[in-house]
Amino acid sequence: MRETIETLSNNKELISPGISACVGCNVELTLRTVMRVLGPNTIIAIPPGCMGGVGVVGWNKKSGANVPVFFPLLDNTASMLAGIKAYYKKIGRDINVVAFAGDGASVDCGFQSLSGAAERNDNIIYICYDNEGYMNTGYQRSASTTRGAWTSTTPVSKEKVGGKKQHKKDFPMIMAMHDIPYMATASPAYIPDLVNKVKKAMEVKEGLAYIHVLNPCLTGWGIKPNESIEVSRLSVQTRFFPLYEVVNGDFKLTVDIKKPKPVEQYINKIKKFSHLSKDDIEEIQNYVDKKWNKLKMSCVEGGRNDEQ
Amino acid sequence: MMESKEKEYITSVGEGIYSINTGDWRINEPVLDQEKCKKCGLCFLYCPVFCIEKKDDYYEINYDYCKGCGICARECKSGAIKMVEKGSSSYAKN
Repeated sequence: MRETIETLSNNKELISPGISACVGCNVELTLRTVMRVLGPNTIIAIPPGCMGGVGVVGWNKKSGANVPVFFPLLDNTASMLAGIKAYYKKIGRDINVVAFAGDGASVDCGFQSLSGAAERNDNIIYICYDNEGYMNTGYQRSASTTRGAWTSTTPVSKEKVGGKKQHKKDFPMIMAMHDIPYMATASPAYIPDLVNKVKKAMEVKEGLAYIHVLNPCLTGWGIKPNESIEVSRLSVQTRFFPLYEVVNGDFKLTVDIKKPKPVEQYINKIKKFSHLSKDDIEEIQNYVDKKWNKLKMSCVEGGRNDEQ
Repeated sequence: MMESKEKEYITSVGEGIYSINTGDWRINEPVLDQEKCKKCGLCFLYCPVFCIEKKDDYYEINYDYCKGCGICARECKSGAIKMVEKGSSSYAKN
């Protein structure tokens, strides 16, 4: 952790100090942390989504970052960056070409271009901040939303009937199955882990590096601002969102949860799940256990014990 | 060379940094008790706005852009950070 603090405090801030992300937003934390690690030799693309909306891409002739920022469409982020990288390769300049996209622009709409870039081995770093929905347009559901969750397009009646009917798409695994050189999941509650993963992604010089970050959305999910990090941590400690990495096809848990907390603890912190019955929670718990066991079987070695 | 006529249609990218005064948003603000502080750096790691600044051997809160979310107070393990009403602390500038 000491090393992480050194890295972060020595590196320059590259994002505008005043961006209008919600109070306590952990996507803002993720973006600032990631950018401090990546450094000034970076080109970043932010498709429409929360981070585009809060002013990182700039407004009224002014830029929201100290590095070149692109504002691609919701569905062409990866392919546009592939072109930018190809040009820099041609003129012989080594540069980090980075996408910072939401789950809508990666898991739903942007999937085709992202999958294409992964298959073509385009050398870009793709970071997806997964807040489980289209949060800046009014909390609509996405393929990444957890089963049972309230969203504005999966409403819940007074009799507590409704919510999303399908399970969350296991997107990190889909990206790992593209056989890209580096795939990792990360959480804003485990910053040293996140920093290490970004550093590893920067070392990839051949092929796509993908990092999937689960960012609980305070306004959309109904979480108190000061519990932002606590809920993120619970998502890992309940095995709901395991932290692992896949380097050249080898799976490894980076934070091993030996004694998981029940998923109920995580769900009870979040208002969008407040209508769920015992059966619904058990269904999610079973799904989480099944996914964890599958992941555990793929892992070559266990990670370090959970320290926090 | 860009003609003045063209400038009406094409603007150069970035005339400065876009920034809004998020320090205006906060209702409560954190106060750091240096004597209780164990210098672990958790507040520095978790502040979404990077308001906590690392000095040589201690941490300091910069109130310019602090949104007052209270994550630092919640995550502090030694209880050195307290949230107080804005303006009631002698540390804060506003």
